[in-house]
Amino acid sequence: MTNHLPASLQSAAPPTPYRRAHPVRRFLVQHSAALILVTPFLLLFLLFTIWPVLRSLYLSFTDYDAISSPSLTGLDNYRTLLADPRFLKALSNTATYMLGTALLSTALGLMLALVFGGQRLSDQVMRACFFLPSVAGGVGLISVFKWLFSSEDFGLINTMRQWLHLDPVRFLGSPAYAVPVLIVLAVWGLMGYNMIMFVAGLRSIPGDIYEAAAIDGATPAQRFWRITLPLLRPTLLFVLVTSMIGAFQEFFSFYFLFSDTSNVGGILDSGLSLVVYLYDLGFRHLQMGMASALAWILFIMLLLLTALNLKLGRINDVD
Amino acid sequence: MLSTLLRLPFYLLAVSVMIPYYWMATNAFKTVPEIVRNPPTWWVHTFTLHNFYNPLTAPGAAKSSGEFQGVFQIFANTGFAQFYLNSVVITLLTVVGSLLLASLVAYVLVKRPFPGSRLLFYLLLGSMMIPWEVTIIPNFLTVRDLGWINSYQALILPGLAKAFAVFFFRQAILGIPDDLVDAARIDGAGELRIWWSIVLPMLRPALAAIAIPVMLGEWNNYLWPLLVINDDAHQTLPLALGKLAGNLTYDPRGAGPMMAASFLVSLPMVVVFLFFQRQFVQGLASGATKG
Repeated sequence: MTNHLPASLQSAAPPTPYRRAHPVRRFLVQHSAALILVTPFLLLFLLFTIWPVLRSLYLSFTDYDAISSPSLTGLDNYRTLLADPRFLKALSNTATYMLGTALLSTALGLMLALVFGGQRLSDQVMRACFFLPSVAGGVGLISVFKWLFSSEDFGLINTMRQWLHLDPVRFLGSPAYAVPVLIVLAVWGLMGYNMIMFVAGLRSIPGDIYEAAAIDGATPAQRFWRITLPLLRPTLLFVLVTSMIGAFQEFFSFYFLFSDTSNVGGILDSGLSLVVYLYDLGFRHLQMGMASALAWILFIMLLLLTALNLKLGRINDVD
Repeated sequence: MLSTLLRLPFYLLAVSVMIPYYWMATNAFKTVPEIVRNPPTWWVHTFTLHNFYNPLTAPGAAKSSGEFQGVFQIFANTGFAQFYLNSVVITLLTVVGSLLLASLVAYVLVKRPFPGSRLLFYLLLGSMMIPWEVTIIPNFLTVRDLGWINSYQALILPGLAKAFAVFFFRQAILGIPDDLVDAARIDGAGELRIWWSIVLPMLRPALAAIAIPVMLGEWNNYLWPLLVINDDAHQTLPLALGKLAGNLTYDPRGAGPMMAASFLVSLPMVVVFLFFQRQFVQGLASGATKG
């Protein structure tokens, strides 16, 4: 569709003495360069993306322990999972975590963008502070958090609670705190990223709208609710939904926070997420079929989230 | 006045956001008794490098009770430096490899389409919907069946063909005029040459935008190495940190090396961030992270 050259110039092949080359041969001569160039990517893509999708779908209908050959069991895996208390626990944990993380990080991100969205040096420094965790907040920091939340003497947060004469809390040892602590970690890592998205969104609102509103006597509150928020709606939805999708798939912090307990989900599965459960099923109990079914349930839930995103705001454009 | 008052809670929030970094950076240089002291110390009272390397526990030194090993001594077989090297090499190869492959495919799709290229494009587009959870089990089985457990190719190859990068580069290449490419073809340049000398230099902003999320994802990647690596030689930094955190449960004195290791793992990303702040913000704000 992009070639405006005469056909003779398109291929570097020497002109053949025969008037009509064999179609296969002609095809190869004309497109060999393109085909050769995409081959390395294509092989990797087929081997590690397309083939696994098909294989995973097949495995989800089988009983497979990764050693003996899989045996077809129909929809049994899906039925078992939907009645499995651990799955339901993981689902409710993940849903709580997802909603808490997405709502808090979106709200805080918006507030930070409104407060520190300017061009002053101090604003830029503050933005860098809040943004840092989304760059250097991954694996390296989680054990620091474990240390800060520790219920031992040296746990910083409990020390600060003592100053306020509050009783120390076993953040990492009590089931009630598992998801809230994880939400704090996630919001810490995400709000700066969301802030940046909102800063970009705010900058795209034309300034003369505000000027006109100010001339008409609109208060700052009115300007926010009547101008900023409606015009920011696409960004808001995008940030909210991408935060939800990201939180839904979180593995690392769930796994790492409870890596020292014998149960991957923490005490009473209080920190069991869907992806951690998938890991537990597939790689600890070697129920690869069941784990594949879980992966497909996860996939369907993510599709629903994405569909919601598309329906709410037609804002899924990458650029 | 009012606005300063309104901003105050957000300055406090900023301080609390920075506390984990401060805690990590100071505790990495505290002695272990000071790290576990109650109440905690807010600055380093006794500066020490023993969390990194403790000469008192070096081979040959007289063993005294209560001494602990620095992070460079704990992994006696291979050493922390090896994990560092692994992580750096794997991250670099993944970033460079996936960028080159994806930009090449995007170039062909846009400027040198072939029968089936449209199908390939839709296949790539559709695959962006597939979460990694779906592919991780079969990919583990594939890697196992290929005999690649405990190898560098198991860490690098499965993540190399990134559909979202192709999509992103395609958008950028659509903006490159056809005439430019055609002129180069008339001058006798091959497709590979055109991609390398004309397209890639024009893609620089797009390359930077994709390189950053790929780099972050790879540097912090934990689950995949956890599955395919179980020897010492091929471990990456996240796995080593996991082991250190595991030791911590049995002996709080492990906190010293743990903090030192966290410091060393976060440092490159902080430094890169400080140098390439603008590219980071642009790259992440381009929406390219959710691959």
